[in-house]
Amino acid sequence: MSVIIKNVTKVYGDTKALDGVSVEIASGEFIAILGPSGCGKTTLLRTICGFVQPTSGTVEVDGRLFSSEQVQVPVEQRGLGMVFQSFALWPHMTVRQNIEFPLKSRRNKGLTPAQREQAIDAAIASTGLEKMQKRLPGELSGGQRQRVALARAIVEKPALLLMDEPLSALDAELKISMRKEIQDIHRLTGASVVYVTHDQSEALAMADRIIIMKDGKIEQIGTPDEIYNHPKTIFAATFVSKCNLVRGHWVQDSFWADADPDKSSPFYRGPVEDCFRNADVCPVRPEEFVMSRIGSGLAGTVVNRQWGGREILYKVQCGSELMTVYTDISAAFAEGDSVVLQRGEAMHHEVAV
Amino acid sequence: MSTQRLKRNIGYILGGVVAIFFFLAPLLQLIIMSLTTDQGFGFTNYAELLTKSRTLQAIGNTVLIAVCSTLIAVVLGSVMAFLVAYTDVFHKKWMEVLTMAPFVIPSYIITLSWSTLLSARGSINGFLDANFGFKVDIYSLGGIILVLGICNASVVYLNVLPFLRKIPRDLEWAARVCGRNLWETLRCIDLTQAAPAIASGGMLAFLAAIDNFAVPAFLGIPAGIPVLSTYIYENVIGFGPSAFRSAAALSVMLSAIALLGTALQGMLVRRSSGMESIREDYSVRVPLGRARPFVQWITLAFLSLVNVVPLITTITSSFFPVYGTKTLENFTLENYAFVFTNRGILQAFANSAMLAVITCMICIVVGTALAYSKVRRHSLPSHLVEQSASLTYAIPGIVLALAMIFHWTMVPGVYGTILILMIAYVTRYLVLQIKSSTNAMLALDISLEESAAVFGSSKVRMWFRVILPLTIRPILSGTFLIFMQSLTELTLSSMLAAAGTRTIGLSIFSLQQGGDYQRAAAVSAVVIAAVVLAYGLSALLPHLLHKKRMTPEAAADVKAVSAIQAA
Repeated sequence: MSVIIKNVTKVYGDTKALDGVSVEIASGEFIAILGPSGCGKTTLLRTICGFVQPTSGTVEVDGRLFSSEQVQVPVEQRGLGMVFQSFALWPHMTVRQNIEFPLKSRRNKGLTPAQREQAIDAAIASTGLEKMQKRLPGELSGGQRQRVALARAIVEKPALLLMDEPLSALDAELKISMRKEIQDIHRLTGASVVYVTHDQSEALAMADRIIIMKDGKIEQIGTPDEIYNHPKTIFAATFVSKCNLVRGHWVQDSFWADADPDKSSPFYRGPVEDCFRNADVCPVRPEEFVMSRIGSGLAGTVVNRQWGGREILYKVQCGSELMTVYTDISAAFAEGDSVVLQRGEAMHHEVAV
Repeated sequence: MSTQRLKRNIGYILGGVVAIFFFLAPLLQLIIMSLTTDQGFGFTNYAELLTKSRTLQAIGNTVLIAVCSTLIAVVLGSVMAFLVAYTDVFHKKWMEVLTMAPFVIPSYIITLSWSTLLSARGSINGFLDANFGFKVDIYSLGGIILVLGICNASVVYLNVLPFLRKIPRDLEWAARVCGRNLWETLRCIDLTQAAPAIASGGMLAFLAAIDNFAVPAFLGIPAGIPVLSTYIYENVIGFGPSAFRSAAALSVMLSAIALLGTALQGMLVRRSSGMESIREDYSVRVPLGRARPFVQWITLAFLSLVNVVPLITTITSSFFPVYGTKTLENFTLENYAFVFTNRGILQAFANSAMLAVITCMICIVVGTALAYSKVRRHSLPSHLVEQSASLTYAIPGIVLALAMIFHWTMVPGVYGTILILMIAYVTRYLVLQIKSSTNAMLALDISLEESAAVFGSSKVRMWFRVILPLTIRPILSGTFLIFMQSLTELTLSSMLAAAGTRTIGLSIFSLQQGGDYQRAAAVSAVVIAAVVLAYGLSALLPHLLHKKRMTPEAAADVKAVSAIQAA
């Protein structure tokens, strides 16, 4: 099911929760809406499912107008599936009753009892809940509740599946393992998925495309690779790939860093988005830095070291700037060491391509 | 170590003695009295009672009135809770005040008001008689049911309202996504979720109806309609000690119904799933659209008609003599002159005020100490006292009064003096203080006390500088309830008061029973004014206090918020 969102704005009082948002979601696509809290991502999701009516702009699904200033198709007539952050399981119904609930609505009147049972069994099987059917939600663990919520959302085989931070109520381990299950369900159902999250690693891991939002506006839309390696805005650079913004100035495609005492060669050479050029900064991801004791580059002092198992995180003070650097586990620097930061050649090369 | 153990043992013994002597012994006396026969012990008293048709009539009336008034209360209370919690009507504050009015104003004044409004010679009945040829008789089963239903709607409302707000909106949204429209969602999600709260509110209304003495006394006694509570009262007042045994047996039966209800209510509270969100959600869930003004004004008009018009009629009637029309030239302050000069009435005001103050003082100290030792030390004796005190609150007031007579006549110098009333009030209301103090103590993080101790605070300093400032508001909310209830108490004093120890409630009751409605109305008007004043002050006080403390507290809040954001 394709979704076309055109110029949608939602105003609450004097704040714009959504400000001229336009995006097209292709049939079968997994799209993540990523942003910090208050960026409007949940409002956008609620506009698509129909709990929020846009102040202006339109939402069309498969050519049918769902929302506009005048039109608002009721939620129950939109035929969507949705997974809530809190799971929103009805505590007085068993697992099976929860999953059955969507099939007993008016829009599924045409189903025969046999078809209904079959659909429930299929949803239960695809989420591995066979042994839990008679339990009440209160008796389930977080991961099991999540599975019930998923099963309920897919039992009607909706062509559009909305997910509102579905993993944020789970603990870290479970989050990672549930990602695979959500991907499996996406593959299995072939539904378009709109997935709201504030966790960039979730979005990068699962989505075909990511929408980065801030202050009600779309900052960037792109594949995980594009977003991570080629951020188009300062916010996208710092929010997703945690870029350091090295201060300095641009001369054509050469960047001269303030904290680089060696003015014989530029700190970085390559194409860059205008927003970085205008802000006189160069985005460098923590793992792009190469840290050494001698050589040219940003001169600084290690002020903090955190051992992380796979990598070591250093905080390096370069003049007035504090840089975050990831090195591999073999690098042995101590707090107080004087170091030099260069931009790694490999990355340098890739960006230059 | 051994002194600590000694202290603990003393605490155990003291708590046990208090619980047994003050709370359990009176009830035990009652049961023994009900089983005492001329030959020894047996069930003769019960058997005799059950052969009397008037007893059966009283039991039947009690159940009928309780069930029917509960239905009215549940419908009215739940509908109001729904309108206030979910819809977008305006003036919710006023709706709440109007719905809660019968919770605040003593039920005998409300009864008096309805009987004034619907008096045989009143304007409503005059109109009905002239146009339709019939009159509404408020002194009837229907009248008692109506007034009790209206009085107890507030109990249901109080129970259901926060529960409705706590149902997570996600649950509704999930149902909408699953193809249900708004009204289907309300029916199959919200109503099912709220059912235990509604049922438990209904159970409380049922208990209140069984417990209530004022309404059947004001409306039923003149019409010869007995219910258990008035039947006990009539037996004791009419026949004195010779009727004690049968009254005790009646009391045991009435208590059995009440305790059964309390147990059921407790089960209903536990049955609620516990998955509702902790926070109350005040957002509009059911926009009424174009029907909003209509719904809103109809509701306000209905509430005013039911809960304000009768009171206004009463207050108005207090400015006129018994006979003659209500015109300006008949306007008189004579009834008020009576109220403020009659020694009996003035004495009653003084008695009630003193009783209320002393009851509060005892309850706040004892109740808070018990709550603290229960929450912090998990002390068994405090639990025992609390359980016993809830028992004396759960049984009907008239039963407790009778038990008090049996028990305290053994101790010289108590029965017949103001002491018996004081003891009875504390016995009845202490549990309210224990509950509110317990909630206050539970909300206080123990680490605050520990840190005070770590930084070298003495026990006294800790109480006055840390514990009380942080808990005083929830503690006082219970005290305030006790103050208002004991100030306007009727049931206990109707049985326990003697010549010099009459209370306000009893004065109004006697005036009404003697047919002196205008003077009863004047006393009621004074009580209404006092109640409104007290609630007004209690509503304003936090604002005044808050303003003074605003600076340091607000600063602390800001700091906390910014600390969280920084993290």
